[in-house]
Amino acid sequence: MANELTLTANGAQHVVSAAPETALLYVLRNDLQLRGPHFGCGLAQCGACAVLVDGKEVRSCITPVSSVTGKAVITIEGLAATWATEKSLSAEDAARTLHPVQQAWIDEQVPQCGYCQSGMMIAAVQLLAKNPHPTVAEIKDAFTNTPPSPHLCRCGTYTAIIAAVQRAAKVMAA
Amino acid sequence: MPPKPETFGGAMDIATGVTRRSFVKAGGALFVSLAMPRGLFAKTDSGHFPLEQNQLDPGKLASWLEIRSDGTILARTGRAEIGTGMSAFYPQMIAEELRVHPDCITLVMGDTDKTPDGGYSAGFLGGAANVRKVAAYTYQALLGLASTQLGVPTSALTVTDGLVSGGGKSISYGKLIEGHQLDLKIPVTGSPMGFAPAGSNSVAGLDWAGMDGLEVAGNPPMKPVSEFKVIGTSFPMPGIRDKVTGQTQWSCDVTLPGMLHARMVRPPTMGSTLITVGEVDKKRFPTAEVVRKGNLVAVVSPNEWEAVSALRSVATATKWSSWSGLPGSENLTQAMRAYPWGAPDASKGDATKVQAALGKAAKTISATYEQPYIKHAPIGPFLAVADVRSDGTATIWAQAGHLQASRQRLANILGTPSGKVVVNWLSHAGQFGRKTFGGDGAEADAVILSQLTGKPVRVQWTLQEDLGWSGLSPAWFSDIKGGLDANGHLVAVHSAFHSPHMMDARPLGAMLAGMPAGTTKPGGFLATEWPYDKIENRLEQVYAMPNVGDASPYGGLRGLIMRTPGQRQQNFALESLVNEAAAATHADPIQFRLQHTSDPRLINILKATAEAAGWESRPSPHPGARRTGKDPVTGHGVCIVVRANAYWVGIAEVVVTPTTGVVQVTKFTIGVECGKIINPRQLDRCMHGGVVMGLGEALKEEVTFDKEKVTSTDWNRYKILTMQEMPEIKVVQISRDDKGFGGGGEAPNAVAPPAVAAAFFDATGVAPRRIPLTAAYVTALLGA
Repeated sequence: MANELTLTANGAQHVVSAAPETALLYVLRNDLQLRGPHFGCGLAQCGACAVLVDGKEVRSCITPVSSVTGKAVITIEGLAATWATEKSLSAEDAARTLHPVQQAWIDEQVPQCGYCQSGMMIAAVQLLAKNPHPTVAEIKDAFTNTPPSPHLCRCGTYTAIIAAVQRAAKVMAA
Repeated sequence: MPPKPETFGGAMDIATGVTRRSFVKAGGALFVSLAMPRGLFAKTDSGHFPLEQNQLDPGKLASWLEIRSDGTILARTGRAEIGTGMSAFYPQMIAEELRVHPDCITLVMGDTDKTPDGGYSAGFLGGAANVRKVAAYTYQALLGLASTQLGVPTSALTVTDGLVSGGGKSISYGKLIEGHQLDLKIPVTGSPMGFAPAGSNSVAGLDWAGMDGLEVAGNPPMKPVSEFKVIGTSFPMPGIRDKVTGQTQWSCDVTLPGMLHARMVRPPTMGSTLITVGEVDKKRFPTAEVVRKGNLVAVVSPNEWEAVSALRSVATATKWSSWSGLPGSENLTQAMRAYPWGAPDASKGDATKVQAALGKAAKTISATYEQPYIKHAPIGPFLAVADVRSDGTATIWAQAGHLQASRQRLANILGTPSGKVVVNWLSHAGQFGRKTFGGDGAEADAVILSQLTGKPVRVQWTLQEDLGWSGLSPAWFSDIKGGLDANGHLVAVHSAFHSPHMMDARPLGAMLAGMPAGTTKPGGFLATEWPYDKIENRLEQVYAMPNVGDASPYGGLRGLIMRTPGQRQQNFALESLVNEAAAATHADPIQFRLQHTSDPRLINILKATAEAAGWESRPSPHPGARRTGKDPVTGHGVCIVVRANAYWVGIAEVVVTPTTGVVQVTKFTIGVECGKIINPRQLDRCMHGGVVMGLGEALKEEVTFDKEKVTSTDWNRYKILTMQEMPEIKVVQISRDDKGFGGGGEAPNAVAPPAVAAAFFDATGVAPRRIPLTAAYVTALLGA
């Protein structure tokens, strides 16, 4: 049965009517129109649905919406604002500035089909928060061995992702 | 693009093809439309191809290209982006010929009612040739207009960034057409897409003749390669910014008023039929309903989560007949061997000469190579949205790979004229060839459910459903034999490739529902482009069998083409044989290849790639090769592929631990010479991505099934390459101006498996005859 739940996504508070066990992904996509996270496997095995909850990556396809009430959910639609807040950018600068991870994804032309890349960027943001200067080995380790599963890309964009993470790291450290 | 003379062959005066019309709009525009040749609509008369609605009207619409008075350009193509970069390449082609910046071009892709030429999304060169010619025709027309306007002969005009200059005067394209409505007709040839007459050559019912789409005819003057300014640069793929910021509208984002979300209840085996349907617990799921037609069962609800939740109990309560018509993956090779193969479906070469040469050979090498079924396995499972109305019209949103083929198939399922069906293309996860013939996918489910419910329906397959039910790249084995003369030269090769067919594009939803799905006839094709002109005698044979499990009413394991189809598999056998032959003659495998070809393009890229890889010239196996022990052994291996006017070389370096059977690829060097490189960075991306996919195939990928169903239905059981397993990848690109354009997106996956197999042999001294090189296979192989 549906409950009224209060949810904070990308800094905005929303009240949604949803069964408490509803997977967060469906609330984000269908109720909040946040279409960045994608349905990949529904099993927390691929990473396409990854979002940040209180700064930690979770797989929204298996996360009950009731478990994130009162927490801050960030999708790729909210990354730029997160960065602007972190850097105290003026409104004018904020409007034209993407999160360095997103900018690096553009500069390195990472996406091929792009379906998995929302989750990849979320994983990158989490990695850089913990390790601002990751080596290639550390990037590979983070994208492969961080629970619950590797972040998978069937187009094979892994090299470009590594380059983009390192590019973003430089910008974020500057 | 096949190399064609880049000269103005015809005597047609392009400029006179431009007709002034009334000033319909103040803004003005140049429309570039189709000129349908006589006979193109012949099929309409025989009832095969009703074109009356929702097709571009050559008299009214800007079918190909529209130049607006603000200088922006709209271009249209029936092909659609699949992640390899055509959405960048096409604007580059157009910009080059029109002398404009590619940024001013917007590309409309795929939509059946808004694009002119149809065709595959696999192999972009045919479509690129079309847009390039259209741009070239348009350029001539614009020069003619400018000449009149400026009073300067066309020979004295030059164009830079859309500004025509000459005789001290200049005018922009936008100004040139301002206040005019101009229409330039483009000559086209070819057949439109349609169902094949009974008995003719078809792909699951659709006529082969229409698959390529329409082709722009004639030979407008084209810019010489030496003057290219846009082609050859790394123009970014449009749309990346939107994908990175979450602004793209993907096919999974389509929402329509009153839309129902559907989840499918698939049979528990690949051949079960429905006995009774489970019911929805209306107390818990008040908005969910069960929809059924034949053996097609779905749970629908306006609320997606409610459909997901209600599905579980409905699926549990639904009863199906039992079925066990699969051999089980562990018995697959035996089952395929046991098939009565009969005569080859395709054959090339002189059997008598080859048998004689093999009989006289100083030494012969025989091997059987094999690979199990693998999957395209995109990260996003099939998805489609359909709105079928009671008036017989249908609109579909999906990432189709052949929009016009999809349109025909969906109209056929619905029993509605194809003129009433529109298929719109939107992005989705990479499809790697599985949608090339417009059959596989959620589209059939979606139109059937929409027709039954009278509402728009969005069908999302689950991963388990996709890995369990979508078409597969078929298993194969190849019996191959080579004969060496006394000098260690390969004088004859006989290959006999055996595989279930890979052209079964029948839509699953239609088969389950008992609605028209087209028919499919097994057939094999020869895909090798022979690289070794100095091997005097060769006989290549291809044998095809029906789908494994084809006694199922739903076709069993439905074979479909996958990236570098046929050639990927056939080339594995050839290149593995060449590597074994080189070893048998104690020759370095690169030197051995150089001795068997005189093609300077192949020789050039082989040498360049070997140098980049730091190739140590010596025979295989490695002097330190070992098949036992817990200390790792290392090896290197090479292979080549020639495909679509492109020459590919792969060099793998591996570490093998004999006791554990673990194979790690530590470095992969890939080289290509594909004529003029259109976009080096996108090519680089395709090469990296192809290697990653090919290494997955070499090391991990295998579809498993029991006697009832596919069992490798999640990412823990169908394993693809992870980032950590990716080696250092080094890329070599050679671009040249004198060989036209070659295919760059497809073949890089095909160079990985044979190079890895060769490197494994180099490290261990044991030639693998099967991929994937899983730990279980390797320990058994080395222990034998």
